[in-house]
Amino acid sequence: MAQQRTAIWEADLDEDFHDVDLNLAIGNYGQNGLYNDEQPRIDEATILAVQQQVAQQAALAQVPDAVKRFIVHFHQAVLDNNLPEITVAYESGWNRLTEKFYAKTEWPEAEVIAPLVNDDQIFLILYRELYYRHVYSRLQPDIDDRFHSYENSCELFNYLLNSDGPVPLELPEQWLWDIIDEFIYQFQAFCVWRSKVKSKTEDELMLLADASQVWSSYSVLNVLYSLIQKSKTNEHILALQEGKSQEEIAEIVGDYGVRPLYRMLGYFSIIGLLRVHSLLGDFTLALKVMENVELNQKSPFTRVTACHVTTYYYVGFCYIMLRRYPDAIRTFVSILNFILRMRQYHTRSYQYDQINKTADRMYALFAICTALSPTRVDDNISNIVKERYGEQFAKMSRGDEGIPAFEELFLYACPKFISANPPPYEDAELLQAHIEDPPMEPAQRHLSLFLSDVRAQAPVPTLRSFLKLYTSLDATKLSNFLDADEEEMVQQLMVMKQASRSISRVDGQKGLLSGDMIKTSDLDFVIDENMVHIAESTVGRRYAGWFIRNTEHAQRVLDTLKNSPLPIPPRPAKPAQAAKTDAAAPAAGTPKPAGQKVAWGGVKVA
Amino acid sequence: MVSATTWATPTTRTELIENLVSGVDRYNPSNVGILEDYLYHQIRSEEYDCLANLAILKLYQFNSDLYNPDVVINILIKALAALPFPDFNLCISLLDERPAAANPDEPDPLPSLLPVLQSLHNLLQQCRFPAFWTLYRSEKAESLRDNYTVEVVGFENAVREVVVRAVKAAFQRIGSQRLGSYLDLAGDELSAYVEKLGWTFDASTGVVAIPPNPDNQIESTVVQENTQLPQLLKVIAHAQAA
Repeated sequence: MAQQRTAIWEADLDEDFHDVDLNLAIGNYGQNGLYNDEQPRIDEATILAVQQQVAQQAALAQVPDAVKRFIVHFHQAVLDNNLPEITVAYESGWNRLTEKFYAKTEWPEAEVIAPLVNDDQIFLILYRELYYRHVYSRLQPDIDDRFHSYENSCELFNYLLNSDGPVPLELPEQWLWDIIDEFIYQFQAFCVWRSKVKSKTEDELMLLADASQVWSSYSVLNVLYSLIQKSKTNEHILALQEGKSQEEIAEIVGDYGVRPLYRMLGYFSIIGLLRVHSLLGDFTLALKVMENVELNQKSPFTRVTACHVTTYYYVGFCYIMLRRYPDAIRTFVSILNFILRMRQYHTRSYQYDQINKTADRMYALFAICTALSPTRVDDNISNIVKERYGEQFAKMSRGDEGIPAFEELFLYACPKFISANPPPYEDAELLQAHIEDPPMEPAQRHLSLFLSDVRAQAPVPTLRSFLKLYTSLDATKLSNFLDADEEEMVQQLMVMKQASRSISRVDGQKGLLSGDMIKTSDLDFVIDENMVHIAESTVGRRYAGWFIRNTEHAQRVLDTLKNSPLPIPPRPAKPAQAAKTDAAAPAAGTPKPAGQKVAWGGVKVA
Repeated sequence: MVSATTWATPTTRTELIENLVSGVDRYNPSNVGILEDYLYHQIRSEEYDCLANLAILKLYQFNSDLYNPDVVINILIKALAALPFPDFNLCISLLDERPAAANPDEPDPLPSLLPVLQSLHNLLQQCRFPAFWTLYRSEKAESLRDNYTVEVVGFENAVREVVVRAVKAAFQRIGSQRLGSYLDLAGDELSAYVEKLGWTFDASTGVVAIPPNPDNQIESTVVQENTQLPQLLKVIAHAQAA
């Protein structure tokens, strides 16, 4: 308060109010109530404006110099479209200063730092994008933050899509992905927050009743589809697949699509749609929007690791909901192997934690898939799954009694489902009914559908374990073993047969929805009237993979040894200790080589 | 269904519908009529287009004022016969919870019929075909039969197709009585149906033989390891470099 009063003097000297209107519209959202009881006066707005600007100048004075310098520098980099500088500011500068100054508080508001960047509205929109992202990830966003971050996203996309022609902005790919990713995250967070009626204050209830368009599903989809259409992303992908030349492609994609900013936003928006449709429970449409995208390591979207991982997670999950377990397994194996390989390079990346969390959920989904569709799978991945989810996996492979384990892993690993529509905030009566009899949560609805699939094939593991013991067997005898009614058991055999077949994508097929019927189980059987005949496909022992992996490993070890400098002889300053090491070395080897010996021994056993 | 391609794009789908299903016009509420008409066309002419029907449910999901329970029930009935494929649950996933019908004069039939439809679906999915027919013919499903499935041309035969898919994958020969209980057919009707399928009925033994198909022929195999050159690339490249 004291600061505000002293600063009024400064404000009197400063007559420059030209930007104040905008600040009022955006910055004063939740404070209107303060002045309601006063008589409306013509110049009230002016007074408010003065007070506000005064407060802002005071606030700017509080901003640490390092942050000021950073913002000025960042702004210049954006003005110059200097991608390397923007990348440094975005990926390291911002995070470093966050740790130092804003670990537990907001960054300065955009209005406060506006003078530093000559009131550059575009930069301020980008700044707010970061500002709100910080609020969402580190702090508790309140209703104003939620509404304002939506408004800011709208302003950003409006600027990108509705300016005269493409805008001359360039941003790093990582940031572009983060813009789309964060937009959907905030949408999803808002939907979840909105669905919890009971915890809302009077003010929040009022605001929500009026704001049915804020973060509506339609508005979010509209942004994503518009970005795809404006940059002609699908046309671009098809042209690339047809092997068109650079000039032809430039012709096809037009003014927007040739610019990296729009091209990448278009790509990322397709992934965004995949995600939004999954969150809304439309798994078919989610895969359909990916129709033209090729899932391989060469696709442009894989250049941003977070995008790569997100894509595979949602594609894999949709396949589970389409009961295409082999496709889901293939998707997860591919990305999990990728994550394992890149682990050595990425441990310090600020996204590493996030990627690791998603990976862990995919291991859980992988466990679910292999329990439902037992197949011979990648050793690397299944070993990790055994380590992390061994207990659940064992339960899930036992049919009915495994249901709680399925439930646990599904709820842990599924996307954060949302419902498309808000509770009826605009109608007090309906809202009351809604509170008294709340609808099932979206995640629970999808869980119960998934579990109905699981239950339908619950008898399979038991049947399988019996059939494995025979090459042919009388149906009556089998039903006696199982202590079951023969007719019932024959019906279960049909279920087992169907569970051992699945639609799966075959190499070279276009579109994630396409696929042919394949056999997924190594155990097959057929019923000839009352005799069950069983055949098992066995896989001969595999040596090649093991030898290749270990040869490569040996080569790496050899390379490292060759490239490492010769050991520096111990300094004579501490002769006693040096002598000790010297003495130990020839005798039995220092502890380090001994450790290595164990490792080699372990390999031999495996 | 052997290939998912015909499922995603049935040959019977017109260009108009294809544009709606694949384009952004699918979100335009004023197109719901076209898609609903197409659904009724499917019902009359024994066609089926899952993605087009999902597009209707999507419009209902976003615009609750469009919601028409009769359409939803018909979509679910059509999806029943798509088993063992997951169409039915894919449709249910799009049915967000909605407040009870605002108009008490026209009670929403879906809440009372949905449990029946789900039970029927579960029985079919678990290949408990005789139980399916018992429930379907029972009093519980009366309203479903009298008001809905009666309008769906060939509904019972479509369910029999589900049975046929399951039986021909699992059996080489099957007792005619058992088959009859799965198909809810007996006597001449059964023999006519079996004949139409191209299966052979031996009257003396009462056994139906099912011609060989990829799923009812089994053999034990040993899969041998097959090393591809690309797997060895790193090793060879290293040898070269060394």
